[in-house]
Amino acid sequence: MQWLKKRMRLLLALVEALTGEAETVSYPKTELELPKGYRGAIQLDEEKCIGCGLCVMDCPAHGLELEKESKSVYKLTYYPARCAYCGQCERACHRQAITHTNQLPGSTTDPESIIVILKDQKEQEDSDE
Amino acid sequence: MDKMNIPIGPQHPLLKEPLRLNIEISGERVLGGILRLGYVHRGIEKLAQTRNYNQNVSLTERVCGICSHVHTTTFCRAVEALLGLELPERVHYIRALMCEMERIHSHLLWLGILAKHIGLEMVFMHTWHDRESILDVMEEMSGGRVAHAVNQIGGVRFDLDEDHGPMVDSTVKKLKVDYEELLDVIEHDTTLKARTQGVAPLSTDDMKRYCVVGPVARASGVDVDMRRDDPMPPYDKLDFQVITHPDGDAWSRTYVRLQEIRQSLHLCKQIIDDIPEGPISVRAPRKVPAGEVVMRSEAPRGELFYYLRSDGSDYPARLKIRTPTLPALGILPEQLSEIHIADIPVVLAGIDLCIACADR
Repeated sequence: MQWLKKRMRLLLALVEALTGEAETVSYPKTELELPKGYRGAIQLDEEKCIGCGLCVMDCPAHGLELEKESKSVYKLTYYPARCAYCGQCERACHRQAITHTNQLPGSTTDPESIIVILKDQKEQEDSDE
Repeated sequence: MDKMNIPIGPQHPLLKEPLRLNIEISGERVLGGILRLGYVHRGIEKLAQTRNYNQNVSLTERVCGICSHVHTTTFCRAVEALLGLELPERVHYIRALMCEMERIHSHLLWLGILAKHIGLEMVFMHTWHDRESILDVMEEMSGGRVAHAVNQIGGVRFDLDEDHGPMVDSTVKKLKVDYEELLDVIEHDTTLKARTQGVAPLSTDDMKRYCVVGPVARASGVDVDMRRDDPMPPYDKLDFQVITHPDGDAWSRTYVRLQEIRQSLHLCKQIIDDIPEGPISVRAPRKVPAGEVVMRSEAPRGELFYYLRSDGSDYPARLKIRTPTLPALGILPEQLSEIHIADIPVVLAGIDLCIACADR
């Protein structure tokens, strides 16, 4: 009886393997399902950001840089190639201005080309003048 | 018969991580081995002194790719002890849940590697398939497959929502069924027993002399487990057994780890059933007062030890990490004497080396 049970289980496993869905995804042809809390590229809510620099201070990978001229005139730059996608900046921000998006970060051979200027108060000041 | 030296590593198909072994052989007998470490030394302890406490949470996560969560848990607990923070109960439960899931996937990974070295490819495929389901749950909960980034000083970053509980529950149930099937195969497989029983046995005294910890020590009859001996909450409230075996050979190490998977599955179920409601973090002050603290946790490979000294500045004055693999490497030359060449993979896989942890 035990023998038959084992063989039946084997047969079931075989049928499941042949008819079931594949475990792998043919990316990028098929869209990748990312988990809910996936930490992808970061985005900034410019309205909320006050340029306090806490995110820059806590970033372990030096992925963010803040050039500050005065309290309201500053430039925040994001370097995706350096980013460790650890979520430390999101956690450090008291105003919830910085968040991880649920999107795969892009890949490139030229890290300089994907640098993102998250907020540039300096430029805004210049254009106002 | 003439003696001969065979170099193994640092890059070798037998090794998953870089390690150099110079093995002396005579015919088919291995006479001894000389070990060389440091190929993946990244200077993490020194690096930690140049970063603030929040940055160090991410840094300690990168000590190891398999037990990343327990490293951050121990580090955060050390900082929280210096800050004198009282954490909500829910935080401890979420941390423990991740620790147990990490233990399951680490042991399954190890079992797969051992089976592959012995030649049981089918067991390797099954264990890694089961491991994948645990990793999927961890990824779904935390957002990361390897670097989970669960911990922060003062709590955890994510909360379990209404989907997570049933997801863990169903995965544990499914794994229990798969696990019993696997156990049945392993316990009755003559090849596995023939390849592991009586291979490189080490006595309880040897283990104590070399200060070996974790499943390797427990397989030689040393009854030590930080979850019971120095419990972090909520382990003091949970019901589990510390598995030991008296023989100390490669088979007893397999037995101990297999039984530990069962205990961890049982613990996951208990945590999900008992998890209390409440907040998941408290606001931690940025300034850490001067002082020193020692924190210990039970990582999948044994006792993980963190020593942290603060001088009141933004950066730690000293961070010392003692990982469980380091003492286990100490007994490796002793194990590599008077065995057959064919037993080298079993000995190496049996102690579950994590070179990245040991080198830091």
